[in-house]
Amino acid sequence: MATTKLHLTERETAARFLPREMTYDEVTRDVSEQILTKRVGRVWWIFFAISILGTGLMLASIAWLFIEGIGIWGINTSNIWGFAIANYVWWIGIGNAGTLISSMLLLTRQKWRSSINRFAEAMTLFAASIAGLFPILHLGRPYYFFWLVPYPSTMDLWPQWRSPLVWDLFAIASYLIFSILFWYTGVIPDLATMRDRARTTTGRVLYGAFALGWTGSARDWARYEKYYKAMAALGVPLVCSVHSVVGLDFAAGLAPGWQETIFPPYFVVGAMFSGFAMVVTLAIAIRWGFGLRHLITDNHLDLMGKILLMGSLIMGISYATEWFMSWYGGSDADRSVVSFEFTGPYAPWYWLMLFGNVLAPQLLWFRTARINTAILIFVAIMINVGMWLERILIVAVTPSHDQLPSQWRLYSPTIWDWSLFIGTLGFFLFMFLCFVRLVPVVSMHEVKQLAHERRSA
Amino acid sequence: MSPLRRPITPEAGPSGGCGGAACGCHADLETPAPARGWQSLDDWQRLSEGGPAPVRRPEFPAIIREGPVSRRTALKLMAAASALATAACSPRPQNEIVPYVNMPERVVPGTDLLFATALTLGGYAQPILGQTWEGRPTKVEPNPDHPFGGGGSDPFRQASVLTLYDPDRSRSLLHDGDIASWNSFIRVVSQKVATFESNDGEGLRILTGALTSPSLIDQIGALLRKYPRARWHQWESLGETNAAAGAALAFGRSLRAVPHFDKALRIVSLDADFLGPGPHQVAFASGFSEGRRARRDSRELTRLHVAEPTLTITGANADHRLALRRADIASLARALAQEFGAPAATTAIVPSARDWARDWARRAAADLRDAPGRALVVVGEGQPAEVHALAHWINGRIGAFGGPVTFIEQNAPTGAPIAGLAADMKAGHVDTLLMLDCNPAYDAPAELDFANALRNIPFSVHYGIYVDETAAHSHWHVPGLHPFETWTDARTLDGTATIAQPLITPLYDGKSGFEILGALFGGYGNIANADRLAVQAHWRSFGPPEAIASQGAFDLWWRKALRDGFVAGSAFPTITPPEPRFPPTAPAMPAAAGRVELCFLPDPSVYDGRFSNNAWLQELPKPVSKQVWGNAALISKADAQRLGVGDGDIVRLSRGSVFLDAQAMIAPGQAEGSIGLHLGYGRSNAGEIGSRIGANASLLRTSDALWSAADIAVKKTGAKQPLLTTQSHHSMEGRDIVRSHTLEDFQELARATPEHEREAPATLYPDDPLHPKRPDGSTKPDYAWAMVIDESTCIGCNACVIACQAENNVPVVGPEEIERGREMHWLRVDAYYDGAPDNPDVMFQPVPCMHCEKAPCEPVCPVEASVHDHEGLNVQVYNRCIGTRFCQANCPYKVRRFNFFGYGNGQEYANLGEPMLEAVHNPDVTVRARGVMEKCTYCVQRISRARRTAEKEGREVAEGEVVTACQSACPTQAIQFGDMARHDSAVSSLKREPHGYDLLAELGTRPRTSYLGRVRSSGPALGPGDTREAG
Repeated sequence: MATTKLHLTERETAARFLPREMTYDEVTRDVSEQILTKRVGRVWWIFFAISILGTGLMLASIAWLFIEGIGIWGINTSNIWGFAIANYVWWIGIGNAGTLISSMLLLTRQKWRSSINRFAEAMTLFAASIAGLFPILHLGRPYYFFWLVPYPSTMDLWPQWRSPLVWDLFAIASYLIFSILFWYTGVIPDLATMRDRARTTTGRVLYGAFALGWTGSARDWARYEKYYKAMAALGVPLVCSVHSVVGLDFAAGLAPGWQETIFPPYFVVGAMFSGFAMVVTLAIAIRWGFGLRHLITDNHLDLMGKILLMGSLIMGISYATEWFMSWYGGSDADRSVVSFEFTGPYAPWYWLMLFGNVLAPQLLWFRTARINTAILIFVAIMINVGMWLERILIVAVTPSHDQLPSQWRLYSPTIWDWSLFIGTLGFFLFMFLCFVRLVPVVSMHEVKQLAHERRSA
Repeated sequence: MSPLRRPITPEAGPSGGCGGAACGCHADLETPAPARGWQSLDDWQRLSEGGPAPVRRPEFPAIIREGPVSRRTALKLMAAASALATAACSPRPQNEIVPYVNMPERVVPGTDLLFATALTLGGYAQPILGQTWEGRPTKVEPNPDHPFGGGGSDPFRQASVLTLYDPDRSRSLLHDGDIASWNSFIRVVSQKVATFESNDGEGLRILTGALTSPSLIDQIGALLRKYPRARWHQWESLGETNAAAGAALAFGRSLRAVPHFDKALRIVSLDADFLGPGPHQVAFASGFSEGRRARRDSRELTRLHVAEPTLTITGANADHRLALRRADIASLARALAQEFGAPAATTAIVPSARDWARDWARRAAADLRDAPGRALVVVGEGQPAEVHALAHWINGRIGAFGGPVTFIEQNAPTGAPIAGLAADMKAGHVDTLLMLDCNPAYDAPAELDFANALRNIPFSVHYGIYVDETAAHSHWHVPGLHPFETWTDARTLDGTATIAQPLITPLYDGKSGFEILGALFGGYGNIANADRLAVQAHWRSFGPPEAIASQGAFDLWWRKALRDGFVAGSAFPTITPPEPRFPPTAPAMPAAAGRVELCFLPDPSVYDGRFSNNAWLQELPKPVSKQVWGNAALISKADAQRLGVGDGDIVRLSRGSVFLDAQAMIAPGQAEGSIGLHLGYGRSNAGEIGSRIGANASLLRTSDALWSAADIAVKKTGAKQPLLTTQSHHSMEGRDIVRSHTLEDFQELARATPEHEREAPATLYPDDPLHPKRPDGSTKPDYAWAMVIDESTCIGCNACVIACQAENNVPVVGPEEIERGREMHWLRVDAYYDGAPDNPDVMFQPVPCMHCEKAPCEPVCPVEASVHDHEGLNVQVYNRCIGTRFCQANCPYKVRRFNFFGYGNGQEYANLGEPMLEAVHNPDVTVRARGVMEKCTYCVQRISRARRTAEKEGREVAEGEVVTACQSACPTQAIQFGDMARHDSAVSSLKREPHGYDLLAELGTRPRTSYLGRVRSSGPALGPGDTREAG
């Protein structure tokens, strides 16, 4: 903490996040050789096998869902959404951090992002794709999902623009398209490097095709920089809009505990928070798996820990605001929902959520905790669990305790709820493991820029 | 050319329908230039260019190619035709096929027809109108012309159409379980007849349920005259023998009391669930509600005192209820009689309840004295004859005779009790036993061991619509006819007879009861229309004077009786009873130490088990507990704590060496020391729907304890099963959901609230002036459909729930889905409890869709499947729905129902997907697919029908022309529907009532369905047993 200064010089930044003097070649070799020459280890194969199983589980769950209908889930007449919507909100939250890290930190010239932005963006991409599946899967008649799209149908029917679900469709679709383009743009120079270093023809052809003829000329770089910054500027509002709209899915309604103006910002912060926790988890795993301690340094962890701490404080304030407003608002139904959260049958989960999201991250006030990977990964996983519970509780508490007590009934998931969720985790792992074997996990060209700054300064 | 070809109207012109040249229609249609016809655009091109007319190609060249029909083709066509003819089976009788070239009179496709007829329950007529579509009954409506119980319905009547099409119905005659022919049955019967003719019917016994059918009683009488040594026995599980014995005790004559609740201002019920399930429910409930309807100018309201062991719907409607063991009610009756000068009696009431009971009796007596000639004491069948006699004695003292209660002579012949039959069976005195429409192997008193006794009978015949427990133990089973398939007659309590006519030809190979009896006369039973001939013969001989005058007069009378649905003037004359005697004291039944009392209760869903296989009724929430698909040992909170029993725990109820395992349910309002158990469950041979559900109470039911057994030991078994209910939370949590007023408060409110139109609540978003409400831009105001539900008169009977289910093709989901909380009823009746759990106040609130003017479900649907129409209906477009369920998430009333599975369409529960059951569907209502949201439509199909009729006649839809299914079924007229835009409509004036309110009005949804708060006339609270404060 003592070393923290508000404004570091570029050289100081470079020195902190690139601890040893590295040549360009060293950087390139460290990253690209992981893919091009090194064989995968046993650990990778074990995880890959698990991920294949998970993907199979996901596909089987979806197949059974399509055959039998959404009745296989634990939802009921009052709790009509259940896991599907909660998982959607959670995954889209995970999918927020990558873009946030890339674009927000790029725009604010946080150079340290260069070590982590590549896989954070990949994480975003995969999480957002999975998130995009859920709104379709949760439909009673999923084969008609395209009716949400304003296409020129023969019946002249358009979607209903007042529905937050239509806003949702546009928010997710734009975000997904943006994430793909942004990530791909950032990876082009590195793909060219890979093309140049590939030892097999297949590698040269594939990397070459995706590198889009990148030459590394000054003109290429000038265009790249302009385009990439412009994309980043677009990204920040998109990150905010996507999860604000998800918040509006609840807040635009009429139900106690959902109809709250705090929901959009609270959802955005929550998304960033859970996404960062996932980035921390993945960063620690990659750093350990690829031996990249010198690229993903303790100082990186330290900074990300601080962001988690800030997130948890904002979440704590948001929760407190919710409690206060439902008391201050004076509506009996709202107050009843809050007391149900603390004392009802879901109370243990609510307390666990508060522990994960608010209490556990308080460890991160201390630098020793922030740079201790064991503590950090514990906190990050607690946050992911806490945020997942928060999504579940948001979806389940209000309908379990709505306006008419005669309709109060609880929600409990079935095996198919769990299998689809666990399956998507497996699918996420699958995509990520493929990604680390095919694409440089650290942005070589940006780290080299950092190395250049360190040297030239 | 098909013989069904109809003249083609000009609108159907060349563009519609007929495609090819080979189609004969062209001959009629085409203008004189047949050569200019074309089949393809090429042809047209050639024609328009003045080319030669194309060669017409035949549509079925293969057939034409054969030239004049060859032998081979002719054979092929004949084979195909006969195959088609065989395949096209239908319930329509083969000899009366009516081609629609000549439209049968009144049968218009797509239009319904109503026929007056009757069902029976406990032998009594249940007058109805049967709605049929092209000869297919789908719905039961009340017969408002009927003088006794016609103006409403009950769940059993409403569900009867499902039983008609039940796939588990018996379809063929069985001999020892194998299919046999009617002729083989007749062969055996005629051998027996020959013997009986020589020995005067020695060993011949007939067992029936309670009967009021004049024709059937007539025929049984004739049979007994023919075979003097034959015997007729009767067994009705929920019969009225105690009432009959009580009247005999009090008056020394066979009299039957007919209560008139509309004439009673103060009612005391001693364990009488007169609003509950039973043959007179509709008549009693509609009479009772007359005095409970609070309107602006109401001066007085009927007050009801109830003492009962289990909270029934009568108790739920009581103003002062006392929870008391069934065995203690006799003492309470004594205490009540004492207030009217009877000698003092020692009380056997448990000490803990004694003070409350005394207070209750004192207040009840004060109320009875308060309204001379307008007060009434009624006693339930669960009480011994002495208590019934005591009630007659009190009724005599308070001047109830001739007013709230009248008497009729009970002189129709009845059969002997079943106990004698069982004894004779065991002794081997019975050779032939014919069991008509009864199920003694299941519901006869347990100590008779009827199922085993049946083994001693050489020739036992069961006749009924199901192969039930009795059929399984009999040698022969003859499939019966549903009341919709046969002619018969029956009387209501007051004696009014209805001639029940069939609505459909028998679906299966069933026989009528008359045919079976006819066989015993030596006939062969195969006479066409034996049932109609028997009924006609009876009325031709014993009918009213205008019927027996001449054949011509009879035919006129017959048609009128059928059309009306009752025989005018056939009610029994009321007689003035003699002075009732003061009865001797009933033997007190002290509670044995460590034992509790078990009360046997008629089930509000399956009655005595006869409706077990009706899935609508199994899935019907019981009015108070909301339990479905089963019964439970209803246990008071104090007893449950003492035994350490919780909801869903399996308890063992033992009586001597017999025991029964049942699920426990802690029931508010249950008397301490008493357990309630509904009859009609635990059946082994009910069918695919009703078998093996719940606990069979009749195992513990014996002749000396038909209604309650005092010597029951209860033990927890340790097993547990979730209770299946549709409502688990019964507290209003202090929210403004059901409003309650005392009569005084209500009158104050009426004075303070001037009569005016209810104003639309303030809004920041006025209606958009750019989009006028009416699409054609005319200024004529639209209909504004609205509903008002009166919480004062709603008794919670559930008739509306089943009526809605029948009308709107609402699917059954089954117990597993109920456990997951996915019931589909469009209309539910919420029950809220208030006050102490040992004797709560119960409030019923039927909740259909509110049809909010600012409906929260509409803006959240992404595909506009939930939309508003210009008449104010919130409509759901099933075709457009993709199943996001956001509408239900946002509905504060939670009235929407989602097809999580294809409940009505491909993934039905048990056998409800059988093709036969498609016949029960209302053809005007879509069957919803999986993944689609549905909800109450205000019976939009009925609105639409009325609108079409009105438009054809060039007029507005008249007030009262649209009657929703729930409204029509309601026996108390608690539901009113109509056009709110008319100032003079019933709903408009009800909405102006001072106690009218909207549910959750603070949300700004502006519901079209509104409520009238509950108004009760209750005296001051006395004693700790009474929780109803005067307010």
